[in-house]
Amino acid sequence: MVEHEPTSWLDYVSLGISRVAMLLVAVIVAIIFFEVVMRYVFEKPTLWVNEMSLWLGGMIYLLAGLYVMQQRGHIRIFIFYDMVPRWTQRLFDLLSTLFICIFAGAVVYGGFTEAWSKLLRWETFGTAWDPPIPATMKPLILVTVVLVAAQAVANLLHDWGREKEVHDLTKDILEEHVD
Amino acid sequence: MDIATLSLILLLGMLVLLAIGMPLGFASGFLAFAVLVMKFGPDLLFRDFGSGPLNILAQRMYGLTTDYVIISVPLFIFMASLLERSGIANDMYNSLNIWLSRTRGGIAIVTAIMAIIMAAMSGIIGGEVVLLGLIALPNMLRLGYNQNLAIGTICASGSLGTMIPPSIVLIIYGLVTETSIHALFKAAFLPGFILAGCYIVYIMIRTRLHPEQAPLPEGGEDVTFMDKLRALPGVVPPLLVVGVVLGSIYGGITGITEAAGMGTVAVLLLITLRREMSLTLIREALMRTFKSTGTILWVTFGATALAGAYSIAGGPNYVANLIVGSELPTMSIILAMMLIFLFLGAFMDWVGIVLLVMPVFLPIVLRLPVEELGWLGTLDPLHVSVWFGILFCVNMQVSFLSPPFGPAAFYLKSVAPPWISLPDIFRGFLPFIGIQLLVLGLMLLYPPLTSVFL
Repeated sequence: MVEHEPTSWLDYVSLGISRVAMLLVAVIVAIIFFEVVMRYVFEKPTLWVNEMSLWLGGMIYLLAGLYVMQQRGHIRIFIFYDMVPRWTQRLFDLLSTLFICIFAGAVVYGGFTEAWSKLLRWETFGTAWDPPIPATMKPLILVTVVLVAAQAVANLLHDWGREKEVHDLTKDILEEHVD
Repeated sequence: MDIATLSLILLLGMLVLLAIGMPLGFASGFLAFAVLVMKFGPDLLFRDFGSGPLNILAQRMYGLTTDYVIISVPLFIFMASLLERSGIANDMYNSLNIWLSRTRGGIAIVTAIMAIIMAAMSGIIGGEVVLLGLIALPNMLRLGYNQNLAIGTICASGSLGTMIPPSIVLIIYGLVTETSIHALFKAAFLPGFILAGCYIVYIMIRTRLHPEQAPLPEGGEDVTFMDKLRALPGVVPPLLVVGVVLGSIYGGITGITEAAGMGTVAVLLLITLRREMSLTLIREALMRTFKSTGTILWVTFGATALAGAYSIAGGPNYVANLIVGSELPTMSIILAMMLIFLFLGAFMDWVGIVLLVMPVFLPIVLRLPVEELGWLGTLDPLHVSVWFGILFCVNMQVSFLSPPFGPAAFYLKSVAPPWISLPDIFRGFLPFIGIQLLVLGLMLLYPPLTSVFL
């Protein structure tokens, strides 16, 4: 798999976070295996595996979005985009980035109080093992959305000077799948 | 603002944002914000920083992050990425080949069977088509198989991954529509195998009518029964994985997430036994998983925020009233929806369609008179959303193959010899798209096909 190279300090932050977060997928596999063995072989099901995988899973979904943004990999449609001249594409990119920032702003504007109070109260999940999922995930959503928007701005700045390139789906896939 | 204007602006806004190349997930997220502004007005929305109706955005995202079934999405992707990087598929192909190499059209049938087995292991398609393109295409072309037949077989059967359970399309559909994923998996079984069976029957009929399209390998010794027995071990590992995944889901031993986890463990174990295990392999697979998870989940985040905002504004209800109130014949409404799916499917990814269109379409379907659904046979009212999910799944099978953006074509093109052009590939798809539409028609004709195992 060919990765988009880091081009700003923010890219290094995004990649750094991703390198750690992607390991969590393997951790989930490991603990689910542990749970199934404990349940069926030793007949001692654990209390914590379900909720732990839920917690880790949430982190994966959120942080993966940051990685995909840095890699310019979010699903978009290029039909019209590829037809217009480069200066129009720049305008389009500018608008997209602006709207992403507005979205991020809206998420924070509406969710800040709840996230902040849950963090301060260290609100837990209210289950047997009781991990602090609300206390951590609510703030993490806001933090990630802001980071993703910042990454979008960094992408815009870096890609601004680039020449026009038409997207070749075939080439993209080749880079992804054939190592 | 009244809901009709709001809906119209939303539709136009979506078209404009997609046209300017804005990522789908964020376009939906931004439109969710826009809908809330139109519904509540800026005064109410921005009165207090930190709370108010805008909180729905973060709440909907939080709802997804705490959904247990979604964990199976990265796990299935991880499993598929691992399989893609091991020689398990290659060995299975070689074994199946020994069994069927003396049959007319045997290698195309082998390709289809192999695709079905892989589809039953995990629920995504990209890697599957690439893998079949790398293994089976050169072989079929070398033997002098008709190019269109080879291409169509690989891509059509390679797309079955999202039809035969476990399937990520059904998992996401179940999440969005709050339909039981277990029921969806059970219901998809029969239609999935009917579709796969039709492909195989089609290959057999076509190669018997036109033997020159599928020459038998020349010379070579006859394959003895002992050879066939010796070739069996190549098929065992993949079937074991299928057994672990589907067995634990259908057998009720574990849920879907745990089945995905155990399937991954089984694949890891096989890779270790085959001495293919390396840190690079794991790292590469994890990176791919992380990236694919991010792309799928963030479309989901955006769309769930939009669906939430639009529901608060009363949108789905308004559209449903409009359609149901129009007193059009039930089946014309369903057929119109199928056409919309097929049209959208030609331009858009399935994730986008299921997330953006389903919250509007399914409530309509649920309010249509159940006895008028399908031309023959009656459906239990409880199974309508399951039936519609399977219909959607078949539509998406077509969308993987339909020009101009059928993903399967691009996946195959990336590994096909350079002289095979995209129009060549799409031409090879035509008969297979015909089969898919036929199966779709069959399920519209007789809906109880999906409720046999429910």
